[in-house]
Amino acid sequence: MYLESLHLKNFRNYDALDVTFNQGVNVLLGENAQGKTNLLEAIYVLALTRSHRTANDRDLINWQADAALISGRVHKQNTTTPLELTFSKKGKKARVNHLEQARLSAYIGNLNVILFAPEDLELVKGSPSVRRHFIDQEFGQMSPKYLYNAGQYRTILRQRNNYLRQLQRKQAKDLVYLGVLSDQLAAFGAELVAARINFLAQLEQWAKDVHQVISQEREELAFSYVNQVKATAETTVDEIYQSYQEQFERQQHKEIEQGTTLIGPHRDDLHFLVNGKNVQTFGSQGQQRTTALSVKLAEIDLMKAITGEYPVLLLDDVLSELDDARQTHLLRSIQDKVQTFLTTTSLSGIARKLINDPTVFDITSGKLAPESSANESDAAE
Amino acid sequence: MDYPEPIAQLIESYMKLPGIGAKTATRLAFYTIDMDGDDVTGFAKSLISAKRDLHFCSICGNITEDDPCVICADKTRDQSTILVVEEPKDIMSMESMREYHGLYHVLHGVLSPIEGKGPEDINITSLVKRLQEHDEVKEVIVATNATPEGEATAMYLSRLIKPAGIKVTRLAHGLSVGSDIDYADEVTLLKAVEGRTEI
Ligand SMILES: Nc1ncnc2c1ncn2[C@@H]1O[C@H](COP(=O)(O)OP(=O)(O)OP(=O)(O)O)[C@@H](O)[C@H]1O
Ligand SMILES: [Mg+2]
Repeated sequence: MYLESLHLKNFRNYDALDVTFNQGVNVLLGENAQGKTNLLEAIYVLALTRSHRTANDRDLINWQADAALISGRVHKQNTTTPLELTFSKKGKKARVNHLEQARLSAYIGNLNVILFAPEDLELVKGSPSVRRHFIDQEFGQMSPKYLYNAGQYRTILRQRNNYLRQLQRKQAKDLVYLGVLSDQLAAFGAELVAARINFLAQLEQWAKDVHQVISQEREELAFSYVNQVKATAETTVDEIYQSYQEQFERQQHKEIEQGTTLIGPHRDDLHFLVNGKNVQTFGSQGQQRTTALSVKLAEIDLMKAITGEYPVLLLDDVLSELDDARQTHLLRSIQDKVQTFLTTTSLSGIARKLINDPTVFDITSGKLAPESSANESDAAE
Repeated sequence: MDYPEPIAQLIESYMKLPGIGAKTATRLAFYTIDMDGDDVTGFAKSLISAKRDLHFCSICGNITEDDPCVICADKTRDQSTILVVEEPKDIMSMESMREYHGLYHVLHGVLSPIEGKGPEDINITSLVKRLQEHDEVKEVIVATNATPEGEATAMYLSRLIKPAGIKVTRLAHGLSVGSDIDYADEVTLLKAVEGRTEI
């Protein structure tokens, strides 16, 4: 799929924008604080109805205005679907084909995007909760069943933690009810773990390939899903459920004593191994960056495998963080496959040479101007 | 400027209703002032009578004017099944179906520690006592909602009741009859597929 065009009104520092995009690579070129990330954010929001950098929708509305609008035309399989989002003080409205959607879940999925921003380095360097959040977020986007199970799990976990705290303070004493909550948590937890292992195995295959290309065959990337029941791809949902049940029984005293749930996928982690070593502790900055990038780029293929369409790729400030060789291989691997938007403050010689017919947009204070020099350099070759 | 005392009090009263904030309460209070005097008196009377003349049935927990309620008092109803619901309004829905002829039991909520509702805080003890006293009951149908809390409550009841040799069943969930598959949300479909039956 690709985004044919975008229209913005009072979104961040854009008062009005109307632009048609290239199906291949679109370069957003400009100095700091001109609106490059804002434009990527607009595309991200158009896809997912919320931003990657603020939880408050009001931040998206231009400071001088009361409402913002993002609309765009998404092309897939010979059809074009208009999407439209409006944000006002009263909330947001989402329209597909000009029809308002009551449920956001009916809107999300019409445009799939993968964003890579400098913050994504946290995926490798950050705490386990960052990685669990990543897993739940991305797999939830691809599988409604996963989204449902993760939601149920969170609710039951909150109830169980609360009840354990009551047991700890002797405000409650019913162990039959605790058993019910453990049973529920074990059942949904088992579903989550099995789904995570299955999705991660697919993601790992793609990430391995991407990483190999970007690192010029010097590095081998592998995943290791760390969990308390030693589940692997061969373990069945029922076996995981049984193991959780046993652990809940064995650890009951300890859980009541501490007043919190000690067992379950909310305690799991994902390790990234480069040449067999955990890259979080042993990797160089560049290796960590490449790992985070490989994982994100692998999602492109996973999404294609699951939904049948390539997503749109949004790369924020990625080029400047990689050495020339890694830039080259990155650009080679995404060319001609997915529509890409990349922001940069300066387009290096290599990148300019490498990208086939990019459209370069100059961004100054929320205004876009197509750049002519890209065509000149093409003509010179 | 502060509102005159009677208005302020009325606003405060409206705010005790669920889902009503200060803004809506203020609007309702000013609307009440403009209402016809008789309507306001009727309104106040219904409020008082609802509270004074209605009680909970001492057997099943349903709201009723008389105790026991008409359903519990009706000996022609099937005494061998009890259908357990969360709220009295659920009995109204079941009764409008006209196909269930057994008895009911109202829990007045579901198990939810976050909302301070443990096993002693909802109407479970009276259900257990009822089952001990009436061994003609052969089946308990649990009709709590398909939320995590509703499911936990159903599982909890089953663990309490089953050892006594009483059959415990749960309402099926799935597609609503006559609904188009296109319009069912993914999770309803998922549940419908999981709960499929052989034909
Ligand atoms: N709601 C808003 N209304 C108006 N302007 C805003 C709003 N939110 C952010 N801005 C402005 O938008 C400007 C551009 O932000 P953006 O993050 O897109 O910059 P950038 O081009 O990506 O810069 P860099 O190269 O430093 O990453 C900021 O200076 C900010 O003040
Ligand atoms: Mg930026």
